[in-house]
Amino acid sequence: MHMDRTFADAVFRNGRIYTSNRQRPWAACAAVKGGRFIAVGEESDMAPLMGKGTTTFDLGGRMAMPGIIDIHNHIMMGGQADLYELRFASSDSIAKIAEAVHRAASAAAPGAWIVGGQFGNNLLGDLNTAESCALLDAASLGHPVILRDDSYHNRWASSAALRLAGVQADSPNPTDGEIGRDLKTGTLTGLMIEAASGLVERALAASGHYTAEMDRAAVARSISVLNSYGVTAFIDAASMQPIMAALKGLDDRGELTAWAVCAMPVVEPGFMFGKSGEELFAMREQYRGAHVKPDYAKMFLDGVPGAKTAAFHDPYIADPVRGCCFRGATMMTVPELIRWLGRCEKLGLAAKIHCAGDAAVTQALDAIDVVRSFNGPTHLVHQVAHASYIAPDDIPRFAELGVAADLSPIIWYPTIFLEAHKAAMGDERAQRFWPNKDLKKSGALMAGGSDWPVIPIPDPWQGIEGMVTRQNPTGDFPGKSLWAEQALDLATVIDIYTIDAARAAGLAQTIGSIEVGKSADLIVLDQMIFDIPPDRLADTQVEMTFFEGRQVYQRT
Amino acid sequence: MDATDHIPVTILTGFLGSGKTTVLNHLLRQPELRGVVAIINEFGEVALDHLLVESSEDRLALLDNGCICCSVREDLIQTLADLASRRAAGTIPPFHRVLIETTGLADPVPVLHTLMTAPDVVGRYRIDGVVATVDAVNGAHTLNAHGEASRQIAVADRLLVTKTDLVSDEVLTRLEGRLAAINPIAAQSRIRCGIVDPAKVLDAGLFDPAARSIDVVRWFENASHAANHRDRSHHGCDDEHCDHHGHHAHHASMSSYGLVVDEPIHGEAFARWLQNLATLKGEDMLRFKAIINIAERPDQPMVVHGVQHVFHPPITLAGWPSADRRSRLVFIVRDIPRDVIENTLCKFVGISRAAIQRSAA
Repeated sequence: MHMDRTFADAVFRNGRIYTSNRQRPWAACAAVKGGRFIAVGEESDMAPLMGKGTTTFDLGGRMAMPGIIDIHNHIMMGGQADLYELRFASSDSIAKIAEAVHRAASAAAPGAWIVGGQFGNNLLGDLNTAESCALLDAASLGHPVILRDDSYHNRWASSAALRLAGVQADSPNPTDGEIGRDLKTGTLTGLMIEAASGLVERALAASGHYTAEMDRAAVARSISVLNSYGVTAFIDAASMQPIMAALKGLDDRGELTAWAVCAMPVVEPGFMFGKSGEELFAMREQYRGAHVKPDYAKMFLDGVPGAKTAAFHDPYIADPVRGCCFRGATMMTVPELIRWLGRCEKLGLAAKIHCAGDAAVTQALDAIDVVRSFNGPTHLVHQVAHASYIAPDDIPRFAELGVAADLSPIIWYPTIFLEAHKAAMGDERAQRFWPNKDLKKSGALMAGGSDWPVIPIPDPWQGIEGMVTRQNPTGDFPGKSLWAEQALDLATVIDIYTIDAARAAGLAQTIGSIEVGKSADLIVLDQMIFDIPPDRLADTQVEMTFFEGRQVYQRT
Repeated sequence: MDATDHIPVTILTGFLGSGKTTVLNHLLRQPELRGVVAIINEFGEVALDHLLVESSEDRLALLDNGCICCSVREDLIQTLADLASRRAAGTIPPFHRVLIETTGLADPVPVLHTLMTAPDVVGRYRIDGVVATVDAVNGAHTLNAHGEASRQIAVADRLLVTKTDLVSDEVLTRLEGRLAAINPIAAQSRIRCGIVDPAKVLDAGLFDPAARSIDVVRWFENASHAANHRDRSHHGCDDEHCDHHGHHAHHASMSSYGLVVDEPIHGEAFARWLQNLATLKGEDMLRFKAIINIAERPDQPMVVHGVQHVFHPPITLAGWPSADRRSRLVFIVRDIPRDVIENTLCKFVGISRAAIQRSAA
């Protein structure tokens, strides 16, 4: 009666498998066939599934858990940065950055672009001077140079790059952007804020600096990095054509080792260029693959707090440029957002809405409230991305409206970002950042994400530790906590990175937990995370990563 | 917006063979039609129509680009703008009304949208009304077979049931019931041999602030009456011979309803609500009309009129047509539950639930 097809392709045995299934949180064994779990249980449940061709993985008592989901990253950029760009730390000084540029420029082919990052948001003011501009130009040896900041919303470019971009001293600021000019002399500084970044990025894209093959290699590189941290699914948070083409290209070759959900921008974001909105939506089916799901749209409502481009209910601290009462502004009105949401729901697209300031969050929720009231219930899960500064009255609205909180980037503990926020809006307000516990108590669906490369390493274990401790796991800012009462317990945090993230990504039927019928995405850890002090969570090493039952990472 | 000096435009629509041309031909011979410009199509059978009405050539403007539908909106704008300019320059005799005939297959909605939104048109013309002919003999069949026919009926202000001499009273009554179910707002008339009183076609007066605001009340009453009527007919319709299947196939999702709101409505919030309704539900909102008691201007009711996602600029009346100063709203929709309308009015416009009544008093 045992036909071959009833045998498992692979069986994991002798493990402490945390399933993220609250009905049955722990198991010792799991069997896989055709990339899906066909049994989860104890040794005795596996016996009938063991055939000649069944591969056995003895976990040796180690902990395993579902593959982690990164609800927000930029999948091409990380790999591009790793493979093709100049890297420096966001804590580096302007002088140190200039040194790095000088080294790269000395080695670069004549006329080649130098692309690099990421400088700290806190440098924006100091960079916007004729002196800093002169420093960068001297270091660049005539090469066009474009450097991105740690928010990825702003750029610092050399004069050669500005020339290629056609930016001149009298060029008008673009809508929603600012071309940096020295306050005293009025000359260009190379600092490009928000939409102004596009002027230089466009020149870079037009130069043919990146090819389709480089794109695929970059995405593959990014995904192998994710796999090494145990990540087996992600949402690419601004999917332009080259990114979807690279994902689809890898999937068609059988080389895509993670579930990829694509969020297509409704309008061209400031940091990526090409088709967007309806034009891009119309192409989505050509990029759909077995593991590529172009089922989200991306809206940007505002910028980032550090650059004072996020939209807040209360004003930023006064400064000479913006005056006393600047609150930031949203880039889309509520009626426009309603129109986009209505359109997306008709097309079966869920929305990921970038809202860095609390006023942007309010507007997004207001718009979703209108759409829900007219359209009635939906299976689509819209997300507020970077749900971090939230007016107290808005917290319960997430659960009421069925909106997921995209928790990214991983900065829910003291970081250099927080320092920039303090400078922008004062200590007290800046620290009411990431009300994760309040969201959880209100019943909000939450999902963890990296926003890589906004944070330079997409290591979810730093995020997991930080959500539990609210302290910086790298040792920076020792002894400091960020709003400690917003800490969450580990089981909740693991949900946020697995099953709840799967719900938020619209893939709860397929991934997020170790259950019969779901994709066999499983990771094996070097330590039993529920038995260690929370401040060791970030030390967790992923030993093995399996995607659809296939091993895609082995720690060496 | 004051519409008194705008040239009224009547749209005559109706399915192929429904007697539209016969009606037009009759109308153009009536003395009341002096000073009316007719815009007709030169396409297929309509070219023949041109011959039929050629005696009125001096009152004709022809579109040379086929049917009046989306593809010729530009032509329609051009034609209307030219007419107004030539009228102003005195190069054509003065006219005080335009009659647009659409082809049988045309969806009248794009024509309405053109009249409601085109900048060159909105400032000089106003929609007087949509008149649709329905053939008593083939009307039921046409409704079953062609979705466009239902839409023509749904957007009409007046329905002319033609060829009534060729069918029994029973057939006629059944057709009229069905038309009322699709569009309870429209006034229905029975006609023979295209003979129609021009007054039944012209001056639907829906946008005329001067005299006809009483019509606003009339269409509301029609709506309430028809809604009740349809509830009854659905009840009685369970025998095997009832053409329920066809009914369901084409109109099950189409419905109409009216609301009375017995408290002043905040104008700005209502405008926002309308915008959201149009944005999110416009595709399924075939026709919307309302007379609104605006809290900020209680003595000057606002008349709002929408076809799908496009709204005519609201018209402020000089005064209420009767002592009844309650707001009245009528909807002809596809798959928009009445609850959605009521709930969103309460939530976003701040209307109290108790102030909303579902049927006319």
